[in-house]
Amino acid sequence: MLNTADFYHVWRIDQSSEQLKEEIKEHCHTDIERCLECGKCSGGCSNAHIFDITPRKIIQLIKIGEEAKLLKMDALWSCVACQLCVDRCPSSINIPRIMDYLREKAYKQHIPATRPNVQLFHELMLGHINRFGRVPEALLSVEFNIRSKQYTKDAQMGMKMFFKGKLNPIPARVKDIKKVRRMFRNLPMQREG
Amino acid sequence: MKVAYYPGCSLHGLAKEYGISVEVVCKHLGINLKEIEDWNCCGATAAHSLNHELTISLSARNLAIARDMKMDKVLAPCAGCFSRLKGASYELRNNKTLAAEVAEIIQSAAPVEPEVKNLLQLIMEEPGLLDKIQSRVVKPLRGLKLAAYYGCLLTRPKEIVQFDDPELPVSMDMILKALGADTVTWAHKAECCGGGYAASDTDIVLDLSGQVLESAHRAGADAIVVACPMCGVNLDTRQEAAAALKGKKYDMPIIYLTQLMGIALGYSPGQLGMKRHLISPFPLLQSKGLA
Repeated sequence: MLNTADFYHVWRIDQSSEQLKEEIKEHCHTDIERCLECGKCSGGCSNAHIFDITPRKIIQLIKIGEEAKLLKMDALWSCVACQLCVDRCPSSINIPRIMDYLREKAYKQHIPATRPNVQLFHELMLGHINRFGRVPEALLSVEFNIRSKQYTKDAQMGMKMFFKGKLNPIPARVKDIKKVRRMFRNLPMQREG
Repeated sequence: MKVAYYPGCSLHGLAKEYGISVEVVCKHLGINLKEIEDWNCCGATAAHSLNHELTISLSARNLAIARDMKMDKVLAPCAGCFSRLKGASYELRNNKTLAAEVAEIIQSAAPVEPEVKNLLQLIMEEPGLLDKIQSRVVKPLRGLKLAAYYGCLLTRPKEIVQFDDPELPVSMDMILKALGADTVTWAHKAECCGGGYAASDTDIVLDLSGQVLESAHRAGADAIVVACPMCGVNLDTRQEAAAALKGKKYDMPIIYLTQLMGIALGYSPGQLGMKRHLISPFPLLQSKGLA
């Protein structure tokens, strides 16, 4: 049976704040007050059909300062950063950058990712860049499978790819790795709290 | 033209055949590629997803090395790397505070040049190059009906990339036509394949790549042509699973643009890494007398 609650979400505003909007103006160089509410961002979005909160709603929630909802939304972990929203926006609001900003903020505050494997994959990949300077794709896939407890994921396909010469067994390394590690030392993936 | 070459991790790994064919074709056309010395990974989706300063710094080091090599341009054939490098260069130009911070991190002045170009841009923006390619075709790709697939990042975001149309691009179609092929009109030429979610959330890739494959199939394409390793790898390696979800089987070869350029310029499929695809392009090429 159709339930109106499946179609309409009533946002209960507990606290309203200008702070998030101002932060975004400063860090993302984009003024969401210019939003015309036309919805072209959501219309173009590659993944609107799976987003819990669609781009136009995200902008509205930023306007009213609903930070708590935004930092735990699934859209942060399913956005493909395809840049359709920003290119279709008549006001050039940089939504992909806003998504990155919100995700980084959520991550630093230890807010659990709704898709833990996506976060895990990012972390493992950055770990490899810190270690080797480049990404050893074969090693990363194996490590990801073990850490995400999906031991046989893509195993058959992986073997085919290996025999096609697509997977290097030995990781390539950056010689001046100190320069790369310095980026991680200065900007550690440190979290607050 | 002195062009710094940024292969990125994929062109040395998952998409070796793209790297191989880029080098073969550029050499043939007199484009002198010099690999950026000791380059590091651009950070890809992982870095921009979790730390903004890190993603800019990783690209800034590569650009600074290219600048110190006194190169005119940087060629990043991977659309993902291109987007990271180009985006970083745009931010470093426009955000002085960030540029100063990044300069301190990479211990070198923040690079504002050389200009970063993707493969399509490099070809289209060099005066006379497309004509030169056309005049050197020895094996026209006659009879091939191709879907030129640009994906997201070769043309977007438009403010930063400033090349071709962001959603209805034509440059790859023009190159393929210069090689003697036909291209189909289709809806998904600049839609996303799911990019970096291939391993971490495969369902997203099966869904989005499945839409792209279905669209190319309906338009009657013999093959999809790509200029990005993520598009190439997703559409090739995830095709069987994506098609199975729709109860179909496409057997649609996914071929890198430079591989087809190589064929038309007289190289053999083997020299262009054509044996490395999971869905073999050989039956199609043989049926058109191209292999």
